Amino acid sequence: MSRRAFVARRIAQAVLVIWLSYTLVFAVLFVLPGNPIRDKITNPLNPLPESVVRPLIEYYDLDLTLVEQYLVTLGRTFTGDLGYSLVSGIPVTELLAQGLSETLALAALALLFSVLLALGIALTAVFFPVAAVRSVVRALPAVFLSTPSFLVGFVLLVVFSFQLGWVSSIRDQGLVSYVLPALTLAIAVNAPIAQVLIQGLSRARGEPFVTVLKAKGVPPATIAGRHILKNGSIPALTLTALTVGDLLAGATIVETIFNRTGIGLITEQAVREQDTPVVMAIVVLVSTLFVVINLFTDLVYPVIDPRISLRAAAAPRRVRRRVAIG
Amino acid sequence: MTTADLAVPTTTRFRLRQISVVEWLALVVVALLVVAVIAPGLLTSYDPLAPDPAAILQSPSAAHPFGTDYLGRDLLSRVVHGTVRTMVGSAVAVVIGLGLGTVLGLVAAYFGGLVDAVISRIVDVLLSIPGLLLSMVVVVALGFGALNAAIAVGVSSVAVFTRLMRSETLTVTGLPFVEASHHLGGTRRQVLIRHVFPNSYSAVLSLTALQFGLAILWISSLSFLGYGAPPPEPEWGLLVAEGREYVVSSPWLVVIPGLAITVSVLSISRVSQFVKERVL
Repeated sequence: MSRRAFVARRIAQAVLVIWLSYTLVFAVLFVLPGNPIRDKITNPLNPLPESVVRPLIEYYDLDLTLVEQYLVTLGRTFTGDLGYSLVSGIPVTELLAQGLSETLALAALALLFSVLLALGIALTAVFFPVAAVRSVVRALPAVFLSTPSFLVGFVLLVVFSFQLGWVSSIRDQGLVSYVLPALTLAIAVNAPIAQVLIQGLSRARGEPFVTVLKAKGVPPATIAGRHILKNGSIPALTLTALTVGDLLAGATIVETIFNRTGIGLITEQAVREQDTPVVMAIVVLVSTLFVVINLFTDLVYPVIDPRISLRAAAAPRRVRRRVAIG
Repeated sequence: MTTADLAVPTTTRFRLRQISVVEWLALVVVALLVVAVIAPGLLTSYDPLAPDPAAILQSPSAAHPFGTDYLGRDLLSRVVHGTVRTMVGSAVAVVIGLGLGTVLGLVAAYFGGLVDAVISRIVDVLLSIPGLLLSMVVVVALGFGALNAAIAVGVSSVAVFTRLMRSETLTVTGLPFVEASHHLGGTRRQVLIRHVFPNSYSAVLSLTALQFGLAILWISSLSFLGYGAPPPEPEWGLLVAEGREYVVSSPWLVVIPGLAITVSVLSISRVSQFVKERVL
């Protein structure tokens, strides 16, 4: 398969998955007995003013059949119109734009922390001279995976904000305020990366080229840092790209704990209020991000690792998202 | 109850010396969880729902080993009585994921072609949405509540089970004995149920133990956010959510239920690993 055909096929696949996920979420949220959207809009407990209620009902075309509603909504999505919040009447795009920069900053810092943590854990678990330390550090990812992120968040909050007073829990201090939430998020998502990295490094260390390097007199630190790390970290790299979805999902809990107004908090409120258009937009956004990043890693793979030919990459490689707690 | 089945055979069939300290601890925790599910009264004498105005927000002491909450309810009792809710919820979630996932994976792999393509695309889609977010979508559709949260987590884990079952079935279907069974006159359905299924199931079972632990985490996250069991239920995630208002003065209200989750998930996965390696 030529490179161009391969790229075209993968892009088509990605578009298909995004469209299907849109359809699936629509099916789950809108195809319910009764008329949940109308009920929600006209609910007496809903604080919407009367002037907003009527246009909203008209906008959602609730008299049409479901298939027609689906087609209308899908068409609007293509033009960048994600509908309106059923609780506040604000356009969903506006709502998401408010939280996006906050959450992207949080997720970026958390991703950086995750990579550093995973690297630190894996290098210590594989190369540290004392065996006892190695086995303790090796068990860390399992502990991280088993710990709910709200526990981590509250412990960090109590220790660093309330006991030591290093970071204010209320005032916004710029970058400093991101450190604790990002660390909480990083502890939640770095474990699978660390586990795969430990496996990769252990495997790469046993390969014949390491013996050759040793025989040539290359210092052990250079072997570990330059050769084993390069060879053993490729699967972990793929996994890191795929954790972006988990970062955004984890932001729901982290932003709730640290009271940060990003996408996570918007998600939490939208689910609580059963604000379907907002929930739908967020899920489709996260799914799209995941698919695009996955596509990008697939296309870049042969560049990072010349051993992987396009032919091998063209075979449908299932996205791996398995973790091990043990 | 899965945990009960896991805990029983280990000590009788193996020399105790082979069991490490960590494994002993995990076994003890799992045994405690089983007791807390079957007979919570053995571990604590307090009523988990009874307020005590004389003992509000007390720190851990001999009378209240885990302290008391803002209504004076004994936290130990609430954690112990909450175990059954968490475990039943996770069991429901795993049964849903395992059941649906097994059928879909088996069907996809065995029939192949269009059926496989359709199921595989659905799996791709489900995997492109993080599990916690997917379960929130299902919660929006179903409404809040302990059972709905469990169903949501179960539905969200269908894709993982389907994918594994599919790949395991594909491996087994390619083996010579399956072809032999066909030649001996077995119908497709007979071969699938009698031969392919039992031979491809062990990997799926070990995934089940892992998913049980993850289900505990997800369900408690959902109830922490307020989508699961309603107050005053002593569900673990809800205990943390209720304790967060008092986290400054009474951090144990958050830390102890949180640690209960961590220790349980770790122990259950450790014991299941142990059972897989030494018993099965």
